[in-house]
Amino acid sequence: MGRRRSFADISYGLVIGGLAVLALFIIVAPVVIVLMTSFTEGRSLKFPPTGFSLQWYEALFDPSKSRQIHRAVSNSLEVAAYSTVFGVLLGSLAALGLSRSRSKLARAADSLFMSPLVLPGLTFGLAALMYFTLIGLRPSIHLIIAGHMIVTVPFILRTTTASLSQLDPALLDSSLSLGASWLYTLRRVTLPLIAPGIFAGAFLAFMASIDNVPVSLFLSTARTDMLPIRMWGMMESTLDPRIAAVSGVLIAAAFLLMLIMEWTVGLTRRMRD
Amino acid sequence: MRKAAEWQLALPLALAFASIFLAPLLMLVGVSFFNDDKITQPGFGQWAKFLGDPFSYKVIADTMLLGVKTVCATVLIGYPLALVYLDASPRVQKVLIFIIVMPLLLSVVVRTFAWIVVLGREGVVNTVLMQIGVISEPLRLLQTELGLVISLTQIEMPLMLLPLISVMSRLDPNMRDASAALGASRWRTLFTVIVPLSMPGLVAGCLLVFASSTTAFISQTVIGGVRLIYLPLLIWQQSLVVFNWPLAAVVSITLLVSVLSVVSALSYLGRRSSGYLHG
Amino acid sequence: MFSRRTLLAGATAIGGVSLLPAIAHAKGIVTAATYPGVWEDAYRSIVAPALKKKDDIELELQPLFAVDQIAKAKAARGAPPFDAFVLDPGPRITAIEGGLFEKFDGKKLTNASKLPAGMIDEWGVCVNAQVVGIAYNPKKVPAPKGWKDLLTDPWVSRLGLTGFQTTFGTVSLIEIAKVFGGSETNIDPALVELKKVLSKVAAVGQPAAMPSLFQQGQCDVMYTNTQTVATLKSKGVDIDFVKPETGAVAFFTTLHLAKGTTEAENAYKYCDIVAGKEVQEALTKPPFNFIPINKDVPLPDYLPMKSLDEMSSYVRHDWAKINPLRASWIEKFNKEMAK
Repeated sequence: MGRRRSFADISYGLVIGGLAVLALFIIVAPVVIVLMTSFTEGRSLKFPPTGFSLQWYEALFDPSKSRQIHRAVSNSLEVAAYSTVFGVLLGSLAALGLSRSRSKLARAADSLFMSPLVLPGLTFGLAALMYFTLIGLRPSIHLIIAGHMIVTVPFILRTTTASLSQLDPALLDSSLSLGASWLYTLRRVTLPLIAPGIFAGAFLAFMASIDNVPVSLFLSTARTDMLPIRMWGMMESTLDPRIAAVSGVLIAAAFLLMLIMEWTVGLTRRMRD
Repeated sequence: MRKAAEWQLALPLALAFASIFLAPLLMLVGVSFFNDDKITQPGFGQWAKFLGDPFSYKVIADTMLLGVKTVCATVLIGYPLALVYLDASPRVQKVLIFIIVMPLLLSVVVRTFAWIVVLGREGVVNTVLMQIGVISEPLRLLQTELGLVISLTQIEMPLMLLPLISVMSRLDPNMRDASAALGASRWRTLFTVIVPLSMPGLVAGCLLVFASSTTAFISQTVIGGVRLIYLPLLIWQQSLVVFNWPLAAVVSITLLVSVLSVVSALSYLGRRSSGYLHG
Repeated sequence: MFSRRTLLAGATAIGGVSLLPAIAHAKGIVTAATYPGVWEDAYRSIVAPALKKKDDIELELQPLFAVDQIAKAKAARGAPPFDAFVLDPGPRITAIEGGLFEKFDGKKLTNASKLPAGMIDEWGVCVNAQVVGIAYNPKKVPAPKGWKDLLTDPWVSRLGLTGFQTTFGTVSLIEIAKVFGGSETNIDPALVELKKVLSKVAAVGQPAAMPSLFQQGQCDVMYTNTQTVATLKSKGVDIDFVKPETGAVAFFTTLHLAKGTTEAENAYKYCDIVAGKEVQEALTKPPFNFIPINKDVPLPDYLPMKSLDEMSSYVRHDWAKINPLRASWIEKFNKEMAK
């Protein structure tokens, strides 16, 4: 950094800094509005909120008033957890299998695995329901998990592939040539290096599952009520402020989770090393 | 032997896809070749109806353009944020990562409410601008494409930034210093060194953002309003309001094919540019 | 690579997903679709306990909009995902044409005699009336008199429009068309007139977003039903209902048995309890604000009519004529309103 900063450098700082601030503003503004609204004293979802109170959080945690929401939350968490676990298993294996291959077939498989991201959820939900009925399966939580796994696995695949592409092939070859078995190399060399990538993908997939409306809509039953569908109903007919409180809880939970992860795994490590 | 073993790792996912995704998708293709909504008379009627209507092409073009505009907007403000992240201290980086993933924690239902509050006629932006006297009449932001792109930018930001940051932070910092030492301005370093080297991450981000913004039905209809017509709205109307599933299938396949072709073009670019990295 | 054992382990893991706690020992069970939001809340807190108490039947409710119910039942042909539908008149006809209902035997309802004539037919029973008119924000605009006012200032620049995807949207657009010389089968005049003022209209929205748009001041006039107005009002939203000078629109919501249901007897008991005086009266009260159809239940005083009989003078529509035209109307609406 020279003592005299050139015009170009100043303009660089201003433009880049300004745009980054704009980005932060666009990201944060809706979050702030929802959080503020969740503490409203009023009876409906309205901004600016009237007064401050914790009543909607109390109502949200009240086991009798919010029983249906709790049921929906537990269903959504269960579906998200299982679909993410299966997605991570199958998705990261597939990424390992395909990332080094340059064959046409591998590339075709890669686009196929990405296509659930592109097919509108509504279409997939309807088609899946028709197909499952045809082969004699009825809507159930297992089908929802399968459906969510399909629509969220692209995230895991993409982030894992991205970390794999930065893995030095020489590293693997040297491990293998030193006589280590393929499995040993995977466990001791590859996995630790790509774990953060898998982790980021798993996070994206988990959140996408929690927020999925259309697939759940068609594959759910009366007993597998899902959170976003319930929230949609609350928003449309009664403007219930509890839906803002749900987001408040989600953000707080994610913050805690982030702290714990930071402590154990080190989420940002993959960004730095 | 080893090579053979490697691609086999993709088999479990391929099997799952074949049974849970490909089969329904093929059924959808089959359904699209029926003329009537009762799915009894096979024929090309729905394809002819959809592809014969000039309005369809406008909607297809608008949908793809919406994707392009969202990608551009996300890159324009997301890339500088990634650069700032790169220069930040580890502690600030942690805070930034938390902020970047925050949009994912806001359910789509309440996110649309928040954008009504920000962009609405009596919303935050208009109130502030009117109070400081920049405008005298409220601007129309909600239910315009501009408003829609802004709101999409927010939710797409994590999809752009996570892949981008993961690639950028693996770049050798010496590369930038060398460029600066050679007397290049920061702008020149950005465009001749950083941007080309971060291309794989940028392409991956663009790909995710494009696919997700062109299919974002709830944001498109609630923030954009129904005067802005994109393919997902047509699919919704045909499948759920008038129950013409063959036509809904036709529109879905059109959307799938159009988005996948753009995405393939992008990932082709991505593969070419990753040549920069590994020679 | 993947032995049968790993696959089996995976399958067991999937199968081990804990399902919800077993249903308490009730004599029977019936699964009914219901609209999300107020309907579900009301049916869960009033109908379910009543059915449990009287017949010892467990009521499982699945919140689905009318269109989602039809789509789901059609896709799951022969294996209905629920035993009973709740539908507005348009989707009801779609479902009849699609063969999604069992025939309905009105004689199985003990409350049949308490309902006005014509409330039970071979396909189902009416359990709720809906009255559609104009809602406005009394703090922002004067009360409009009728549909025509919606297209003139000061209302037009505060108007929130919705299209043909909902029952209330469709009937309101028909009524607007009628004012300008259209009819139940000709909505073109409405689109022509709307197009002239389109640049002024405050919002053309997704029906689900209208309450938020109204509450946040994006629009101050819209068409909707009395129940929505009463619900929003009880939440502190500035909103009032106007019966248009050409008459409010009335239609009925009906319950139906799904084709292939294995719980027909329990479904009849469910329909019967919904039509009964106790449940109807409870549904009429806030926060639910339903319009009752049982003759023994007094009408709440915020409604524009004094008795159920008065409702027969309200505008009614023939959905058998409307349904076949709806797809083309939606297409026209898209093209005329598109930017």
